[in-house]
Amino acid sequence: MTISDVISTGWKSTDGKRPPAFLLVSAAIVATAALIPVVYLVARSINAGSDWIDIVWRPSTAAVFGRTFLLIALVTIISVAVAVPIAWLTVKSNIPLRRVLSVAAVLPLVMPSFVMATTVIEMYSPKGVLQGWLSGLGVERLPDIYGLGGATLVLVLMTYPYVLLTVRGALRRMDPALEEAARAMGYGPVHTFRAVTLPMLRPAIAGGSLLVALYTLSDFGGVALLRYQTFTSTIMIQYQSSIDRTLAAVLSSILVAIAVLLLLGEGFTRGRGAYHRSTVGAVRVSRRIDIGRWRWAGAAIVGIPVLIGLLIPVAVLIHWLVRGLLNDQQLLPLLIPARNSLYISLLAAVTTVLAALPIAILAVRFQSRLSRFFERAIYIGFGLPGVVVALSLVFFGINVARPLYQSIWMLIFAFVVLFLPASVGALRSSLLQVNPRVEEAAQSLGRSQWRVIFSVTVPLVMPGALAGGAMVFLLTMKELPATLILSPIGYRTLSSSIWSAASEAFFAKTAAAALLLVLVAGVPTAYLTLRGHSDGADESDRVAESDRQSPAETAEVAQ
Amino acid sequence: MKMPWRRQKIDISVQPGVTMGVAGSEAAGVPSTEAGVIELQGVECSYPGSDAPAISEFNLLVKPGEFVSILGRSGAGKTTALRVVAGFERVSSGYVRVGGQLVGSSFVHVPPDQRRIGLVFQDYALFPHLTVAKNVEFGLKGLPAEERRVRIAPVLKMVGMSGYESRYVHELSGGQQQRVAIARALAPDPVALLLDEPFSNLDRQLRAALRRDIKRIVRESGATTLLVTHDREEALATSDRVAVMGENSIEQIGTPEEVYKNPASAAVAKLIGPCELIPGVFRGGVVVTEAGVFPTRVTTDIRMADGQQALALMRASELEIVLAGEEDQRTSTVEMTEFEGEFTEYSIRLDSGTLLRVRRRAEDSVDVGSRVTVHTRGDAKVIVFPV
Repeated sequence: MTISDVISTGWKSTDGKRPPAFLLVSAAIVATAALIPVVYLVARSINAGSDWIDIVWRPSTAAVFGRTFLLIALVTIISVAVAVPIAWLTVKSNIPLRRVLSVAAVLPLVMPSFVMATTVIEMYSPKGVLQGWLSGLGVERLPDIYGLGGATLVLVLMTYPYVLLTVRGALRRMDPALEEAARAMGYGPVHTFRAVTLPMLRPAIAGGSLLVALYTLSDFGGVALLRYQTFTSTIMIQYQSSIDRTLAAVLSSILVAIAVLLLLGEGFTRGRGAYHRSTVGAVRVSRRIDIGRWRWAGAAIVGIPVLIGLLIPVAVLIHWLVRGLLNDQQLLPLLIPARNSLYISLLAAVTTVLAALPIAILAVRFQSRLSRFFERAIYIGFGLPGVVVALSLVFFGINVARPLYQSIWMLIFAFVVLFLPASVGALRSSLLQVNPRVEEAAQSLGRSQWRVIFSVTVPLVMPGALAGGAMVFLLTMKELPATLILSPIGYRTLSSSIWSAASEAFFAKTAAAALLLVLVAGVPTAYLTLRGHSDGADESDRVAESDRQSPAETAEVAQ
Repeated sequence: MKMPWRRQKIDISVQPGVTMGVAGSEAAGVPSTEAGVIELQGVECSYPGSDAPAISEFNLLVKPGEFVSILGRSGAGKTTALRVVAGFERVSSGYVRVGGQLVGSSFVHVPPDQRRIGLVFQDYALFPHLTVAKNVEFGLKGLPAEERRVRIAPVLKMVGMSGYESRYVHELSGGQQQRVAIARALAPDPVALLLDEPFSNLDRQLRAALRRDIKRIVRESGATTLLVTHDREEALATSDRVAVMGENSIEQIGTPEEVYKNPASAAVAKLIGPCELIPGVFRGGVVVTEAGVFPTRVTTDIRMADGQQALALMRASELEIVLAGEEDQRTSTVEMTEFEGEFTEYSIRLDSGTLLRVRRRAEDSVDVGSRVTVHTRGDAKVIVFPV
């Protein structure tokens, strides 16, 4: 009997199990790190003192506020309107090419907003390709693409897959008996959808909408190229143009407040009903509904967003590339940025998954008040726009962690904070599938808890770790504001070099880099989508439980 | 941590003949002064969030080489008792000793990895990412690779799984998985083997065969074994002694025959075999019930007084029915017959509505609807419990 054994009986956790100290310590470090940006931001804003009130009540602030909300509302509503029919058509109907289309419909996720924006401007601006085609038909001039319209178009194309994934997951898990019961009680198909299906999908729609709204709030590249000023782009401009960063800090804290409001709003929409199945037993696969001669129309409804959101942008990029190569135009240097992007994304993926591991194990296996606190703490990254995290880390770097400032580790730090929820979510759902008895068996065979984690738990959650890592990789590749703010001077990644060319309207120069970015981002997306499809449902669909507990689990669906 | 009992354990396992003698003959032959391999003394264990303890005042002594089963209905706390022994649950009072060492009490808790206990889980809990050989090898860490290979071969042979070394768990049937789970638990030469509902995931036919196999394997290995089950057949057929659990604690412990023949309480009787308990009045050595008047015996040292209310234990196999004559009192009706080949089981409805079952040879059958009187076969004595 060691003294620690004697002392340890003092530990109280809700299931009576005592987590090993190394797990607690590493989880505590991760949670503290995740809290640093918020703490710093708050401290900075408090320092601003009376300026704070001044800035908040400026008319210009109110105008940005209004524009941001208008964009969020439009993008969210349209994304839901686009995604719900697609979800229904790909799960419940017999449209042709159903399997191909259901994978393709998710793929616009790989497009970074700033790349999407350049191709949208090329295609649909008053001087764009579409105008060229239409002028033959007598259309004088297309409406201006810049501003609210263009920003909405770009963001809807990029974000509707979030709603699609959550709603599709809920549709797949929904017990078909519910709809059958309604039909048996004399409800017609349309009435059934309105009275049973749609209410059951409400949490999924709310969860997906939350992701769309948070993404819209945090996007920088797309709105900036389309010249629509939101909070995020205002903060970036403030940050880049002035020496005094107080304004940026204060605006950031308002941004955080908006994000918190959105998070709370999502919780509010859930209401008090239960959305999970009330019975046990296997869910039957519902029969697909024959929509007869509407089949091809259905396929078109699914296909059009894919066409506009993926195929046309890629075609535009290829067109630029070919034209550039033929005319011997100067293209962006590829090698170094591509290498940097890969390096940073891999590093971010590995670091984030490693950081997520103790949090996830603690949360699933050793539930206690402390483990719940750790989990909540890392969820903060879910609501924080990249620009806010990056700015806080700038302050933190300059004032506290000087050696880290201007090193790529600060950038990695930001990505870990931003993307921890996604990888904790993936690990968590993987861990929930591991029978805890297996770990107990290992322990009864003489391995200490620490060794059990490495010899049994980690190998078994490898699929979740890979999925989480793939998500982080994809998100890091596409990320712009944090990359711009925190990259060491002269350190160029694919996204930052595309951005600097695009922001000076040299769109064609970006072609090769943008194509490469889309291709590389496509690898993890394809992995995540296809992996899920082999077990009959998207991985992301599977983890998006309809009775989700927290928004962070929505986050894992995001990618 | 050095295990003082390990030497002794190895000695046992290299001389299977000796152990078989111990396990096979009456466990009572072991001097009672000898320390048990597993010993629980006044143990209480509760789960956080529930007021009532899962087990309390729990006493159990398993002697070296003995096979003991804990029989109880689900929720009685029998798995908790097993997990207490294995070290997955902490006890709030009482003492847990394994191999003579104190491993659990309100102030001591030896973690499971230091208890050297072989545990076979209800769902086997084999490592899905490892092969059969690697699963069995898992508990042999610290030994050189060569020796590990040498050690697992005889264990796999014993459970009849030689040749499956490189298979993965999902490539095995349920019964095979269970054999591997037993091999894995036995390979590190544990102080004791714990089996948690080992047959519940198998279909009925496989169950009986595997039960015999496990009994043989355990005998061969000489391992001291504690099995937990809710299936009375399993408990009675496999073990040297059966510990019957009531609510939270053990109500009776003894050889299967003892427990079956002399159940200490109505609750034990119900758990140990199919039976009905019908109310009656004790009167001078007989019990007067609605079904008839029967000679009695008691299994506890409680004395029954004349006129005392009692419960009479009615077992289908001990009852007989006779067609009632005109003058017979206390008659009842044959409601249903179930032909089972050699035997027929009769459902007898008493006039108060109570149902009795009678199991008798299939010849000279009694028709449904007949009025009958109920007797014990050969006027055997009926066990009565005071109410």
